[in-house]
Amino acid sequence: MRGRIAALVSLAVVAAVLCVLPFLISDYNLSLAARVGVFFIAVLGLDILTGYTGQISIGHGAFMAIGGYTTAVMSRDHHTNLVVTMLVAFAICFVVGFLVGLPALRLSGAYLALVTFALAVSVPLLPLKWSSFLGGRDGVQTSHEVSNLWLYVVAWAASAILFVLAWLILRGRVGRAFRAVRDSEIAAVASGIELPVYKTLAFGISAAYAGVAGSLFVLANNGFAAPDEFAIVLSLQILIGAAVAGLGSLWGVLAGAAFVGLLPSVSSSVPVIGSAHGQDVVFGAAVILVMLVLPDGFAGLLARIRRLARA
Amino acid sequence: MVTAATSRIEGLRNGAAVPVVSLVLIACATGLLVGSLRSATFAQLTVQGLALGAVYGILALALVLVYRATRVINFAQGELAMATTYIAYQLIQWGLSYWEAFAATLAIALVLGTVLELTLIRPVLHRSAIAAVIVTVGLFVLIDGIVNWIWGGDFKSMPSPFGTKIYHVGGVSISRLYIGMFVVVIIAALLVWVLFRFTKLGLGMRAAALRPAEAALVGVRVDWMLAVGWGLAALLGAVAGLMAEPSQFFLEPTLMQPILVYAFAAAVLGGLDSPAGALIGGLAIGVSLNLVVQYVPAISSELQEPFAFAVIIGVLLLKPSGLFGHREVRRV
Amino acid sequence: MPVNRKKVAALIFALLATAAVVGTAAASHEGTPGVTKKQIVIGGTFPFTGPASLYKTIPAAEAAYYAYVNAKGGVYHRKIKDITLDDQYDPSQTPAKTKQLVEQDHVFAIVGSLGTAPVLSTWNYLNQRKIPQVLVATGDAYWGQCVHKALKLCGGKAKPWTMGWQPDYPGEAKVYAKYILKKKPGAKIGVLYQNDSYGKNYLNGLKTGLGSHQNQIVDAESYNLGDSAQVIAAHEVAMRTHGADTFVIFATPQATIFALVDRTAIGWSPLTLVNNVSANRVFQLAAGQNGADLNGIISSQYTASATTQASYKGVKLAKKIIDATGNQQLQQSLALGDANIMYGLASAWTFVDGLKHAGKHLTRASLMKSLRHLNESKKNTNPFIYPGMSVKTSNKRTFPMEQLKLIKWSGGAGGDWHAFGTIYKGIH
Repeated sequence: MRGRIAALVSLAVVAAVLCVLPFLISDYNLSLAARVGVFFIAVLGLDILTGYTGQISIGHGAFMAIGGYTTAVMSRDHHTNLVVTMLVAFAICFVVGFLVGLPALRLSGAYLALVTFALAVSVPLLPLKWSSFLGGRDGVQTSHEVSNLWLYVVAWAASAILFVLAWLILRGRVGRAFRAVRDSEIAAVASGIELPVYKTLAFGISAAYAGVAGSLFVLANNGFAAPDEFAIVLSLQILIGAAVAGLGSLWGVLAGAAFVGLLPSVSSSVPVIGSAHGQDVVFGAAVILVMLVLPDGFAGLLARIRRLARA
Repeated sequence: MVTAATSRIEGLRNGAAVPVVSLVLIACATGLLVGSLRSATFAQLTVQGLALGAVYGILALALVLVYRATRVINFAQGELAMATTYIAYQLIQWGLSYWEAFAATLAIALVLGTVLELTLIRPVLHRSAIAAVIVTVGLFVLIDGIVNWIWGGDFKSMPSPFGTKIYHVGGVSISRLYIGMFVVVIIAALLVWVLFRFTKLGLGMRAAALRPAEAALVGVRVDWMLAVGWGLAALLGAVAGLMAEPSQFFLEPTLMQPILVYAFAAAVLGGLDSPAGALIGGLAIGVSLNLVVQYVPAISSELQEPFAFAVIIGVLLLKPSGLFGHREVRRV
Repeated sequence: MPVNRKKVAALIFALLATAAVVGTAAASHEGTPGVTKKQIVIGGTFPFTGPASLYKTIPAAEAAYYAYVNAKGGVYHRKIKDITLDDQYDPSQTPAKTKQLVEQDHVFAIVGSLGTAPVLSTWNYLNQRKIPQVLVATGDAYWGQCVHKALKLCGGKAKPWTMGWQPDYPGEAKVYAKYILKKKPGAKIGVLYQNDSYGKNYLNGLKTGLGSHQNQIVDAESYNLGDSAQVIAAHEVAMRTHGADTFVIFATPQATIFALVDRTAIGWSPLTLVNNVSANRVFQLAAGQNGADLNGIISSQYTASATTQASYKGVKLAKKIIDATGNQQLQQSLALGDANIMYGLASAWTFVDGLKHAGKHLTRASLMKSLRHLNESKKNTNPFIYPGMSVKTSNKRTFPMEQLKLIKWSGGAGGDWHAFGTIYKGIH
């Protein structure tokens, strides 16, 4: 009961802050807050896959690319409503994720990481090949741009919806099946869980989340989709965000998303972390430290604090 | 005792697969020779492919060594190779000659790789495969950041180790650089082979990788062997970086990023636990990339890395242990 | 449990307080953004790192010129502060950096941003907000074509706030076409071009210049930024297989250096022309060091040469300004003949010229009006431009520079570019 109340209070606090924030911060900082929302969705998606079913993906940038380009191309060619393009991105990426999940069934741990890494490197190069449709290096521009406020509202509304969706999925039978898969595949099979279905389902859902994040990512970048936006570093950053976040905590995902989303926006006048390279050093060092010292990430840290407080 | 056991087991596992694969490879080599004799363009691209393929192969060998020792795929192998190349650059700036810096860099790389394994990888080895992967991902980003921070993200010049002379054979131009790249890689690979086959250290490393429990019983310091494995891999990575740099005429931080992808493809193709496979895989990837892009119109140069991805996924689905590998890819 | 909630509440309060402070700190200024009694703040995006970082001496030279002007009191007692950000020549990074300049640093104008694709990725944003995007370091024809007209290639809207500076690429390509047709009438032309709007514009310009002889282009190969030297070599092998005996390179510096070295490495010696954005003695020296056979390659020039025109007053002034920076690397680069430095100085000179004629009451509109009515000739000649050339704009003349001089390399690996022939006029 106490846990339930605490969780609801957490949610209420976050929701309240989000509603009040636009009135307090500048327009530019609103765009940064929106960016955190984008990474919230991406990190959440990866958390579902890696945290709950134990399948690693270093390739979520590829799904973000697919989602982002879907939005950009649909808007450029058909002037489609941007929220509609996000729904389409969700659907397309779910299918693609599912398809990627199929061969992934036969691969374990490091091999899956390798394949997703190669996927992350390859997918952003495809617009260079089909440059007449996908814009090549010149990229694809949406038909109109959105204001920072629009971006903030839509990013966090989508975050809220997708968070609730994740919660519903994970508390039910599907979630239990996911956890069983992660903990022991042999036991899961023995208890009658259809491994292939749940594993590929997890991939699909995770990719769909990344797709929506990708749409917002492009919109946050002036509505401009280009190959270099989705370079391998993006996939690595999402993985870092998920590792820092840890598992099963809203605050964890928020912390991970804020970490990855805000660090690159620190003003260049700030020494060390103001430069892109200082930030890479921080990202790399942070995730290594987390793995060595705090393997359960921010969520684990909070859990530990709670346990200490109870004692 | 350990020697007999390991080689018998390896021999049993080889079975009938190797002769078939060897035949296929001989057929391919013959095809390359015939093609080269008939077309200067074909020959030109083959020569280029072999030189680059040697670099892919030596980096793939590094990946294989790490995988054999610790069952980890080191995603930072390429960035580590790049960083050690920058160390060589700095040594040259400080006054060393190219080959002095080369030797010193290899030694530094050996130490660096060993230290990394001991401090960062060892603590997470006993946990899930994912944990070590995430650490190497963190290393990728960290090393990239450090190099950019110290040296900057622009172009640096290093002296050319083999000069700029070009030999003209038939209608084909072979630069001394390509010959040098190939020869250096072959020498490095041979030295590694000698190390493993004829030295006590090499025997210990093989034993520690294949049969850690038994090896510990006969007095092999398994922990150290694994760390040295990483050190040796970093050393080979340094060779890869130092040979890759002159092929691009400049040193800049993204030097090894595409090469890492091709090295992955080479390692998977050859078998993640087969050193010979890694080298042959590297040559195969190098040559086929050049030829495919030229002769298959649909596959243009943008699709080189997707091609490598296709090789990886194809091999893992069809013959997961690769051409020369033994291990199972899945645990369950 | 209660302890935790308090901690959480405190954290949130701290966050809100910080946000409020940050928010008010970033409040908008009164009057013209970026202009005060004492200062003009401008900004631009440049490739300090990444695949085009061989251009990084351009912003360094511009900074040196502004420092020189500031040391003499500035323009109408306002000193120029130039905030340059690194976008790595990546059009997906430029929007964020430009936004930062506009919305965080509140710059008066975006000056000198480098790269066709980067400028294209931000021109909508800047024109919508009526922010000058001037003297962009790219020669695409759009900057002159889209000033008044809402053509399709302008994205359907005119871009009056965007302005170029250097001679346009299609014009340059047409000069090369004329040269080829005159020098080598039956030439079989192979073209290497960058696979983006910059490269494609050059290729189209060449085709237009060749006119009915367009079919003499036997092979046009596109390469992608960041391609390895071996990929470039493979393109050249393909061109040679198609029978090309003339080689036109529309590439940025790294790829050009690859192309020149590879050309020699594969044993191919066609008549070779290089676009002027990669014709810089420093780049060619790098190619020569790696074995490229440079003699006879052709390009064009519009800035004064620090090496072959060392006694020209503009070059002497350039040396003085660069020496004043105390930056050894920059000094060495100029001594080697780095054309980027002359370019940066010349472009900054034009901007200051524009500021001077915009008047003491400086607004964005007055700057644009001044820049659209430039007359850098005769007594008001830009000292860093090739002697005899001028920079002029008017209501009809939307291309500031329309003159080029052909140059040819001689002297081997340690040689130099030498100008020949007349000054081509009205290239656009």
